[in-house]
Amino acid sequence: MSRTSHIQRVLEQPTFNKVTQCRVLLVGAGGIGCELLKNLVLSGFRSIELIARDSALKFNPDVEIIAHHANIKDSQFNVEWFQRFDIVMNALDNLEARRHVNFMCLAANVPLIESGTEGYLGQVTVIKKDLTECYDCQPKPTRKTYAVCTIRSTPSSPIHCIVWAKSYLFSQLFGEPEDEPLDNEMNNDNAEEIQILKKETELLKEIKLTMGSQEYAEKVFKKVFTDDIERLLTMEDMWKERRPPVPLAYNDMNRVSSNGENGLDHNDDMNTLKDQRMWTFEENFNVFVDRSDLNISKSLWRTKHRDYSINRISRRLLEEQEINPVAVLTFDKDDDDALDFVTATANLRAKVFGIEQKSRFQVKAMAGNIIPAIATTNATIAGIIVVQAFNILKNRLEDCKTTYLDGFRRPCLLINESLNGPNPSCSQCRVNYYILRINTKKATLKDFLEKILNSSHEQGLIYGDEITVERGASIIYDIEFDEKLDSTFEQLEITDGVFIKVTPDDANQLPAVFSIFHRETFDTQDTWYEIEGGISEARVSHIVASNQNTETESGTTLKRKLESTDMDLDEQPSTSCKKMELDPEYIITVEDSIIMTEDGPKSVITLD
Amino acid sequence: MSGICRARLTEERKQWRKDHPYGFYARPTKTPNGLDLMNWEVGIPGKLGTPWEGGTYKIIMSFPEDYPSKPPKCKFTPPLFHPNVYPSGTVCLSILNEEEAWKPAITIKQILLGIQDLLNDPNPESPAQSDAYMLFKKDRKEYEMKIRRQAKENAQQ
Repeated sequence: MSRTSHIQRVLEQPTFNKVTQCRVLLVGAGGIGCELLKNLVLSGFRSIELIARDSALKFNPDVEIIAHHANIKDSQFNVEWFQRFDIVMNALDNLEARRHVNFMCLAANVPLIESGTEGYLGQVTVIKKDLTECYDCQPKPTRKTYAVCTIRSTPSSPIHCIVWAKSYLFSQLFGEPEDEPLDNEMNNDNAEEIQILKKETELLKEIKLTMGSQEYAEKVFKKVFTDDIERLLTMEDMWKERRPPVPLAYNDMNRVSSNGENGLDHNDDMNTLKDQRMWTFEENFNVFVDRSDLNISKSLWRTKHRDYSINRISRRLLEEQEINPVAVLTFDKDDDDALDFVTATANLRAKVFGIEQKSRFQVKAMAGNIIPAIATTNATIAGIIVVQAFNILKNRLEDCKTTYLDGFRRPCLLINESLNGPNPSCSQCRVNYYILRINTKKATLKDFLEKILNSSHEQGLIYGDEITVERGASIIYDIEFDEKLDSTFEQLEITDGVFIKVTPDDANQLPAVFSIFHRETFDTQDTWYEIEGGISEARVSHIVASNQNTETESGTTLKRKLESTDMDLDEQPSTSCKKMELDPEYIITVEDSIIMTEDGPKSVITLD
Repeated sequence: MSGICRARLTEERKQWRKDHPYGFYARPTKTPNGLDLMNWEVGIPGKLGTPWEGGTYKIIMSFPEDYPSKPPKCKFTPPLFHPNVYPSGTVCLSILNEEEAWKPAITIKQILLGIQDLLNDPNPESPAQSDAYMLFKKDRKEYEMKIRRQAKENAQQ
């Protein structure tokens, strides 16, 4: 009996044949990706391409797995390349790459299974151009950034202090010299902040020159916790409605912590893990400065606390600079010295502003943007992805669901929703996508506008004169900018795989995106370009998507179904599951990691 | 590459072309490759009847990749003498602050009108440069004279 004989019986032969012939692209090989790859192989998939930035895998000699060590955003992975696949599966960990794959799948008209997990939460959904919502149909929360004023002058929560310690102070002292924005959390303003007051910059430079000296820690301390705070206090109006900060005095601190006992009791809270214990005020101070005059022996202190963060980092930087004069350090959450430094300085700043302090463990999670991963969540999600892949291969898009996993919502862990149709105003999927093969060395922008786009030309598409044409983030033509008309595509750096976007001024008309490929010879002599794709009534010479008829059909069914069910789950995500009208066929209960459905083995993934 | 960001900026440009307030200008910066949608050159006129009258103050607006989820950065070039403008020229204004009043629905036109209002109506509760702030607090006459001189320096040629 072969390994796939069970799955073969469960899926029935025609579907199983599709599984064995299906070309899968798996993007990402992290928590979900590795789990998913195993599921795919065990489910009978035989042709898998994998893109991951830092791992390649040898799996099973019967299965052809091509692993690319690359970034999915590399230009080699263009629309033509995406078109080679029957299904794309995302197992990514960031918004940017997800958006990119979403866009490429829309442009190539390939179904995409999108997924993600965070701790006990997870979700899977299916995206198909024109039939479902795409990844960008609903606005996505973006990573929080903080205004400069908040970080530099008026922090009000622990994260503000941590960002200050990590992105401002650490970078200033050990990182790139001026002007280089080090952390996108500071949104380019980091560099600018350096210039805030010229005197301040000068002072800081002076202080940095003394790096490695005995007084270095003291100087930095006085500058950031005493002088800068006193300067802030002079702007009285700023503190009318806010609690004014209280500057710290180095000498007071020194006196308090020099007696060796205060706050240095390592035996307290033995039940709490070291990193999870909140440091006392004095400990924060001691971790920041070099306490060479400490009463206890240095080695003992270091083994217990990995102390002296500022001087240890300085020493490291100076050592590196002996080899490479322009060496800099960047914050790494796994670098103990750096984390000590950030924890201590963030907590000292929190003290100044009367903000709650955080433990070293909490600071690590916040400064490192750590998203907890749970193996069982990833495994469950990877399983559901395969179930959705089967639905797609059976051409039953109407059976595909958006599935939410919530590990806290026992006993009903999984919630299924019907897929929504596209958001009519989505700027990503309410677009006509074309592939244009053309001689980029000869064709000019004017040719493109007059003969290809314009409906007044016999073969032209439906776009008139009032349009904006963009390449990347640059406008190359609009009604007030026509300087580039005589440039060829090549001169405009429009080469293989590059996208051109055409936005009509008329808001009722959908924009168009052209993926350009260079081609010199065509089938007939009169032809000088070839267009594929598009969704509107544009006259096209070739149409891709061999199974377009069946898809249109399932699309109509899907739309009808969407109208009739019309569940407002989206708007009330917190409703308890009892109130929801769930399709019982799809309720899967997960208990002790065994996946079962109420409908027998139909959608169970069997793994030998 | 965020298509959402660019689609919005294309739309903003379209709307601005159709209609914009008198005396203002806003256009993507010209580069060898065309017009750069992510960086706009903007001019804001001082309101009539205020010490700012007669000046058109230049701003570079830079849009982040996740605009309009995040606000653009507005930077006076050259830096402006104003209590709420950082010495680097960056404007500190609630509608440009993601943590305060920024909303993705705020248009470029609204931002520029907001900055125009801020010129003669500074917010002393979030000072960004001490020179202008101190003078504004301590010697209003001298402050206004300085503003008038600045308006002359920024008169449109």
